[in-house]
Amino acid sequence: MTLHDDVSEILLTEEEIRARVAELGKELGADYAGRSPVLVSVLKGSIVFLADLVRATEIPLSVDLMELSSYGANTESSGQVRILKDLSGSIKDRDVIVVEDIIDTGLTLNYLLRYLHDRGPASVRICCLLDKPARRLAEIDIDYRGFTIPDRFVVGYGLDYDERYRNLPYIGVLRPSVYGGAEPES
Amino acid sequence: MAEPLTDATRPRFAHASEAELARILDFYQVTWRYEPDVFPIGWNTRGAVTECFAPDFYLPEVDLYVELTTLKQSLVRKKNRKLRCMRLLYPEVRIKLLYARDFKALMLKYGRLDFMDQVFSGNSHNGAQNGSQDGPRPGSQDTPRNGPARLAEPAA
Repeated sequence: MTLHDDVSEILLTEEEIRARVAELGKELGADYAGRSPVLVSVLKGSIVFLADLVRATEIPLSVDLMELSSYGANTESSGQVRILKDLSGSIKDRDVIVVEDIIDTGLTLNYLLRYLHDRGPASVRICCLLDKPARRLAEIDIDYRGFTIPDRFVVGYGLDYDERYRNLPYIGVLRPSVYGGAEPES
Repeated sequence: MAEPLTDATRPRFAHASEAELARILDFYQVTWRYEPDVFPIGWNTRGAVTECFAPDFYLPEVDLYVELTTLKQSLVRKKNRKLRCMRLLYPEVRIKLLYARDFKALMLKYGRLDFMDQVFSGNSHNGAQNGSQDGPRPGSQDTPRNGPARLAEPAA
């Protein structure tokens, strides 16, 4: 039994992802020529995408990481999102590119954008690998989009379910049996 | 930025799924209002309002109404019809309908499968209303918005 057995369908192959990430890297390189943006990524899901994207972008850049608490079963009734790891450096007057693995409801990013804007960056743009618009609650203007995907529960290439499957090299749809058959009805 | 409501100031939600969505919005500091507006969608020949639609949530920062429907299929059809009426009469109003499958996906995303089971086992009503939302509920603001809502005024 391997991780692959828990995947019912490969939505995006390793080759498709690699090709699109290379295109995104070229776009960023062209749009930010002569500048030195800072790529801000949110742990943990974005790390694989970030690692490949920076190597596909041939301009001087820096990287910073943040970690935010997630809503979940252990959230206090009065709980609010907390910054578990803040930016290491200042983004004041810097060109910021937020690198996200997936945007669905947009709630996390909506919070993050407010936080970043309060720190006086010169500009903020968003680069996401996967856009799942069917789930959107907070409207987000995405500047660089890898793929628009259907409303399926996906794992791999950094995305997890219960901290597993991040190391799959592709984006796959998780079998409903893995999470007790609770997949949304089609 | 949204301030979380205290137990004393939280509205009485008609369904546990609504309370859960409110918690999620609070968590991500998204301002919300519970059933702040009632939209007339049906009138009789005398111009009196016969049918209304009161979306569950309004998110003022993103100007979006959200309607949760974790109900049985017959009620979903009814709600779909109301939503079609809404979109015809109030095309400028942005409204998102979250079906049961959408809510389940949210719970899956947030690792709240236990809550999902509770909601769909039929023990989730708070007892305030039957959840069909045919019209204004006690406590909700029943002032129609501008625009077509004014048609609800009986002809002089």
